[in-house]
Amino acid sequence: MEKEFHHHPSRMPDNSAMKQQKLPAHQLHFSARVVLTIFFATGVFCFCMGVILILSAQSIQEIEINYTYICENCAKLRENAFNFDQKCTCSVPFYLQENMEGDVYMYYKLYGFYQNHYRYVLSRSNNQLVGKDIMDVEDCAPFKVSQNKTPIAPCGAIANSMFNDTIILSYTLKSSVHIQVPMLKTELTWWTDKYVKFQNPSLINLSDRFVGTEKPPYWQAPIYELDTSDPGNNGFLNDDFIVWMRTAAFPTFKKLYRRLYRVQYFMDGLPAGNYSFNISYNFPVTRIKGEKSVVLSTLTWSGGSSLFLGLAYTVTGAFLWLASFALMAIHMTMKKKKLSYRR
Amino acid sequence: ETIITLNKAKIKIWVLTGDKQETAINIAYSCNVFEDEMDGVFMIEGKDSETILQELRGKMKPESLLESDPVNIYLKKKPKRTFTMPEELPRGDYGLVINGYSLAFALEGNLELELLRTASLCKGVICCRMTPFQKAQVVELVKSMIKAAHIGVGISGQEGMQAMLNSDFAFSQFCYLQRLLLVHGRWSYNRMCKFLSYFFYKNFVFTLVHFWYAFFNGFSAQAVYDTWFITCYNLIYTSLPVLGLSLFEQDVNETWSLHFPELYIPGQHNLYFNKKEFVKCLIHGIYSSFVLFFVPMGTIYNSERSDGKDISDIQTFCLIVQTSLIWMVTVQIALKTTYWTMISHFFIWGSLGFYFCILFFLYSDGLCLMFPSIFQFLGKALSQIWLSLILSVILCVIPAFGYQFLQPLVFDRINHCKTRPPQVRVRTKLKHPSLRRSAYAFSHKQGFGALITSGKTTKTKPNKKNSFPVKKKESSDISTRIVAFQEKSISGVPSTIPLKF
Repeated sequence: MEKEFHHHPSRMPDNSAMKQQKLPAHQLHFSARVVLTIFFATGVFCFCMGVILILSAQSIQEIEINYTYICENCAKLRENAFNFDQKCTCSVPFYLQENMEGDVYMYYKLYGFYQNHYRYVLSRSNNQLVGKDIMDVEDCAPFKVSQNKTPIAPCGAIANSMFNDTIILSYTLKSSVHIQVPMLKTELTWWTDKYVKFQNPSLINLSDRFVGTEKPPYWQAPIYELDTSDPGNNGFLNDDFIVWMRTAAFPTFKKLYRRLYRVQYFMDGLPAGNYSFNISYNFPVTRIKGEKSVVLSTLTWSGGSSLFLGLAYTVTGAFLWLASFALMAIHMTMKKKKLSYRR
Repeated sequence: ETIITLNKAKIKIWVLTGDKQETAINIAYSCNVFEDEMDGVFMIEGKDSETILQELRGKMKPESLLESDPVNIYLKKKPKRTFTMPEELPRGDYGLVINGYSLAFALEGNLELELLRTASLCKGVICCRMTPFQKAQVVELVKSMIKAAHIGVGISGQEGMQAMLNSDFAFSQFCYLQRLLLVHGRWSYNRMCKFLSYFFYKNFVFTLVHFWYAFFNGFSAQAVYDTWFITCYNLIYTSLPVLGLSLFEQDVNETWSLHFPELYIPGQHNLYFNKKEFVKCLIHGIYSSFVLFFVPMGTIYNSERSDGKDISDIQTFCLIVQTSLIWMVTVQIALKTTYWTMISHFFIWGSLGFYFCILFFLYSDGLCLMFPSIFQFLGKALSQIWLSLILSVILCVIPAFGYQFLQPLVFDRINHCKTRPPQVRVRTKLKHPSLRRSAYAFSHKQGFGALITSGKTTKTKPNKKNSFPVKKKESSDISTRIVAFQEKSISGVPSTIPLKF
């Protein structure tokens, strides 16, 4: 049957590879061998990784002292906010059984403090903290302005609730000879925090640059008096302040407080012996049903003493191994069935 | 050949024509709509509703006269909702022939359902002597009651372009229908199902992490991700791979698709995406979000960097969860894609690389200084991030991978077809030798057909031109020698089909 000759051009689609679904391609087929190899290899990898991580975590020494209720009278004092100007100190002795070798870090750890609450996280002014505009307090509700309507610097709920306990570690050299363990309060923060994200309005005459602003309501001293001895650690650049402003992701968190200064008796770390913490107790955690403690810890390449990653890897590795054997068994039985079925 | 292939794919053929009954039946036999091996061909020739009802019910399903039959129940109650025909499997291959006169009665009221039910059980249905209006009515009936997705296909012929203009697809030869359905239709169904299940999965994982986090942030709806990530996730990071999957995915290539029409059956029975598949998708999403949240949480919970500095902050946590999520969904789509073209590679790995580029860009110093309030996150990646990422990806992907491996082993499907050679259907002897096709295609009434087919007026010759690989009875050999070109209309569209013998 002859077709009529069309006068208009053919409306057939292009014969290109794309339009005719004929693109050159590789069809992926996972044969049994490939799948089983993958399972087996991944299992071995995970298991080894897990063992390495566990071993490295075990080599860390850590000691934690929960002092919320040890300093009972202080805790009770702080439950009443009107006692804010009364100082309260407390001494917590403890015994270190083994030497802590290497770098030792001191942390304060809080329980039940929700730094990850939605409204809390939003309540800060990054413009102010980077030194651009010290009067910008827009996002800082509810701590934008003080009672006489002057803007607060630094504004916001995060800055306002800064941790203000002072913890001093002292070592009992001999009976009745106590020396204060030398600690460093610099290099506690991320490099980008200290040098990019937080900047003072100007280093010279800091107190003048903060004229027209007020300190946050819960603070004892204004921001430019946080560390008058070191201008690099004063104002917004104060390490403790920056560490606190880095909001934690979970209600239980620890933040770096001090690092061991390895001099004199502490060249190789903390020797074993009697120690005590002298704490000036300011932060009222009992009101929020939280707790606080001090942690001393050494570190390795894989981070802290958390066993989670190591255990998880080991368990996954073992499980994958078992799964690969199970799959192999299933595959063999199915193959036999198919062969007999074909016959 | 096309119709044989379509029959293998369990597609039922209905022929709606205006021609005479004998003509229509002859054509049906020659086109394989009806086959000699069918268990029965029923003729509905009643002249009034009662007879037709009896014919419809009694012939095929004697038990439809019982009270417990669902159609009977429906007819008694007459509920407001439309009735969806329950799927019934016939116990053999049947054909139905109904002419326009009987159809006029059969399309009224209650008989509609009966007709539909009976006709649905048949492998092929011939409606002859139909007016165009009746053709439209029958199509409407089937569409509304069965509620199947449908397309209109017009075959262009010499009698005009009307049907072509009204239809979704138009082409010039009937045999192209084979490719349309078995290759492109099947691929399209497959792609659609994969797309849907993947899209739901990736959004479940994305969102359900917040459910787990709620327990740890005082139920204050703090997001686990950076706001920019939330904006870009569905728009930029995961859109191209999904597009690639939907455009190019082929589970079996076209040669196999045409060779095995049985592969079309899962599409008809909704096997690749139904409620069960959706629930599987949901469970996989919940499990993945669980892993995605708790592995990073465990990693940074009591942990610091090797130089003592803090890593348990929101920024690091968000970063770990985001990156793990992107990796996880990328590996998942890489597993789902069975047909890897260059474009697929580019889309999938490209999106991943693009995510890292944007990440470094957004987290750079410069941008933070310019817009401190908008771009808050700064910092660098850490070794623990990679460890956590690898673990969460492994934990999420391995079960899916294992399941994908086990599925064809335990539930035979496509691979089974591939491994077994196509079975040649051994045709049995004619079951109903009494139903002989009339040798006269143009008779106006019952003519001398019976006389001629009995073979008494012609010499018996051994027939060499046998188009069916089967041993047939002598008398029907004669009918195979009739060669005629006829105008046939299928679905109301004129076309020419050369009859092959």
